[in-house]
Amino acid sequence: MDITLLKVTNLRTYFFTRRGVVKAVDGVSFELKRGECLCLVGESGCGKTVTALSLLRLIDSPPGRIVAGEVRYDRLDLITCTQEELRRVRGKEIAMIFQDSQSALNPVFTIGDQVIEQIKLHLGSEEREARRQAISLMTEVGMPDAERAMDYYPHHLSGGMKQRVMIAMSLSCDPKVLIADEPTTAVDVTIKAQIMDIFRILKEKRQMSLIFITHDLSVVAEIGDRAIVMYAGKPCETGTVTEILKHPRHPYTIGLINCLPDASVTTTRLTSIPGTPPDLIGLPPGCLFQPRCPQAMPICAGKEPQESVVSEGHTVRCHLY
Amino acid sequence: MDRLVSKVGKNRNLVLVLAISLLGFVGLLDIFVVDKVFAPIVYFYIAFGIVLLLYGVYPLYNNRRLTRYYLDRTKRNRLAIFGLAFILFLILLAVIGPFFTLDPTAVSFEEKNLPPLGFTIEQSVYDAEAGKLVTVSVPGTIRHLLGTDNKGRDMLAMLVSGARVSLQVGLLATLIALILGTIIGVISAYLGGWADNILMRFTDIMMTFPFFLLLVFIIFIFGPNLAIIVLVIGLTGWTGAARLIRSEALSLRSREFVLASKGLGASGSRLIFAHLIPNVISLVIVIATLSIPGVILAEAALSFIGLGDPTVPSWGTVLKAGQQTLDTAWWVAVEPGLMLFLTVLAFNFLGDGLRDAFDPKSGL
Repeated sequence: MDITLLKVTNLRTYFFTRRGVVKAVDGVSFELKRGECLCLVGESGCGKTVTALSLLRLIDSPPGRIVAGEVRYDRLDLITCTQEELRRVRGKEIAMIFQDSQSALNPVFTIGDQVIEQIKLHLGSEEREARRQAISLMTEVGMPDAERAMDYYPHHLSGGMKQRVMIAMSLSCDPKVLIADEPTTAVDVTIKAQIMDIFRILKEKRQMSLIFITHDLSVVAEIGDRAIVMYAGKPCETGTVTEILKHPRHPYTIGLINCLPDASVTTTRLTSIPGTPPDLIGLPPGCLFQPRCPQAMPICAGKEPQESVVSEGHTVRCHLY
Repeated sequence: MDRLVSKVGKNRNLVLVLAISLLGFVGLLDIFVVDKVFAPIVYFYIAFGIVLLLYGVYPLYNNRRLTRYYLDRTKRNRLAIFGLAFILFLILLAVIGPFFTLDPTAVSFEEKNLPPLGFTIEQSVYDAEAGKLVTVSVPGTIRHLLGTDNKGRDMLAMLVSGARVSLQVGLLATLIALILGTIIGVISAYLGGWADNILMRFTDIMMTFPFFLLLVFIIFIFGPNLAIIVLVIGLTGWTGAARLIRSEALSLRSREFVLASKGLGASGSRLIFAHLIPNVISLVIVIATLSIPGVILAEAALSFIGLGDPTVPSWGTVLKAGQQTLDTAWWVAVEPGLMLFLTVLAFNFLGDGLRDAFDPKSGL
C-alpha cells in the first residue's frame, strides 16, 4: 500500500495560442501509491483533463507543450523519455479511460476487433486465446452476453455499454495505474452506480491505482482516498478525502461542498459560487480565486499564496492559513 | 456453404496472403517459364477481384442489415441505379464481350462504311461493268450490327474492345492516384506541423502543374504507350483526392478514439492504418467513382488529338477516325461518342448516389 508508483513534481503544461499563453496546468505535484485512488476535483476548464493527458504526454503539440515538471514512473521520467519507452508504458503500465465513450471507440470496427487487437498488441496472445481473454474481461466489467457483444459495432451499444468496453480495453493489459477522465459524466445515474462498482472492485481486487478525474464530489466521497482540488490550473487544496470533505480549508473547496444539495434540508435554491473561473490568458497576480472569494483580504490581490501544511498530509494554498 | 463463407471471411487476411502468393507464383511461372499464356495485367485483375471479394463483397454479405440499408438509400436515387447498372453492363461487356465479337482489327474494304442495322445510306460505288460511279443504297447488315468504319472494321467489336481499354485506364489510373492520395493525405493530417506544410505545398505545386502538357511531353519522349499514359495520369491525378482526404483525416485525428488508442499505446503507423485509413474509405470510394470518368475522358482526349496508343482501339481513337468521315459515315463518330457520354454520366450518377448514401446527414 505504501509503494509510490507515480510521482509527479511541478507539472506545467502551457498552450501557446495566438492570443497568448494559456497556463492550463501550472505546478501540479502529487504522489500515487499502489492501490490508492487519487481524485482530481474542480470546475470545468480548471486543468484536470490536461493534467491527466500530460501524464501520458498526449497533449497536441503545437499548441500545447509541457514546459516543466517530472512524471516519474518506475525510474522513467515520462516527460523526457523516448517515444518508444513511452509507448511501452501507455496502455501496459498506465491506461486511460476517456470522458466521452461515444467517440472513444472506432466506429468502423466491431467491439471484439478492438478489444482483441489491444490484447494481441500488448500481450502477444494468439487470436483464439485473445478472444477468450477479451470475453472474460468484458464479463468482468459487467457486459451482459459478452460473447455476442463481441460482434457488435460501437453504434449498436448504449453509452454505458461503450463505457464498459472502454474500461475492458484499458484493463486488457492489467495496467498498474488507471486514469479515468470523468468516466461517469456521460452516463445516467443508474449506470453511474454500476460503473462506480466496477472501479471499486478493480481497486480492491486488482490493487490498481486510480487517478479519478471528476467534478462530482459524491464520486470523490465514494471512491477517493486522497484528493487534489484544482482551480485555474493550480492545486489549491490537497489531502485525504475525509479531511477535505470534513474540514475543508480553502474557500473554494468550502464553496464546492456548499454547492452539494443536502437532502435533509429543504431549500428552494441551490447555492453556487458566484462568478466564473478566470480566463487563463494573462492571469492577474495574486490568488486566482480572490475575485470570487467571500473571505478575500487586501493581500490576496497582490501576492500569490504559498502552500502551507494545515495537518498531516493536508496542504492548502491560501493566505488564511 | 454459409459456414465456409464465414470461415473464409473471419480469416480473410490469411486467405488474402495465401491467394495472392499463389497467384503471384502462377503468374511468375506463366511469365517466365510457360511463356505468357495470359497477359500480366490479367493476374492483376484477378488479384483485384480477390481483394474486392474479401474486403468488399464479404462484409456486405456478412452484414446484410447494413447492406440493405445502403442499398435502400442508393435505390431512392434512380439515376444512381441506372449508373450502377450501366457500369456493371460495361464491365461484363469488357470482360467477356471480345470473345463473342468479330476481330476489331480485321480490315475488309468490301464492307467499308456499312451503316448500323436498320439504317440505309446512299453510297457512290465504282461500277466496273458500266465503267463509272453509280449511287447505290447500302443497308445495314446483321453481321455488322453497328456498322463498319472506312476500313471495313466492325464497329461493335471496336466499341467492345474500346470499353476494355477505357475501363482499364480509368480503373488503374484512379487506383494509383487514390493510393497515393490517401497515403499522402492521411500522413499529412496525422503528422501535422511542418511535414503537413511541406506535403500540402507539394500538392499545390502538383495541382498547378499543367498535367496535359506533361502528358504530351512524356508521350513525345517515350512514344504513345497505354501503360505510360496510365502511369502519368495516376501519378499526377492524386492531388485533389489528397486534399479532400487530408481534411477528413484532420477531423478524425482529433476524435477521441484516436487519442484513446494512442493512450493505450498504439504506434503511429497503427493509428494511420487501423484508425485513420479505414475511416476515410467511404470518402475514397466516392472520390474514385467521381474521378474515373475524368480519367476516361482524358485518355479519349489524348487519343483524339492523336497521342493515344495506336495499337489499342480505344473510344478516343475510333472517335478521331470517325470525325474525318463525319459527312459520309456519321455513326463511326457518334457511337463511341455516345459510349463515352453514357459511361461518364453513369459514373457521375453512381458517385453522387454513393455520396448521398454514405452521408448520414443527407436527409434521404
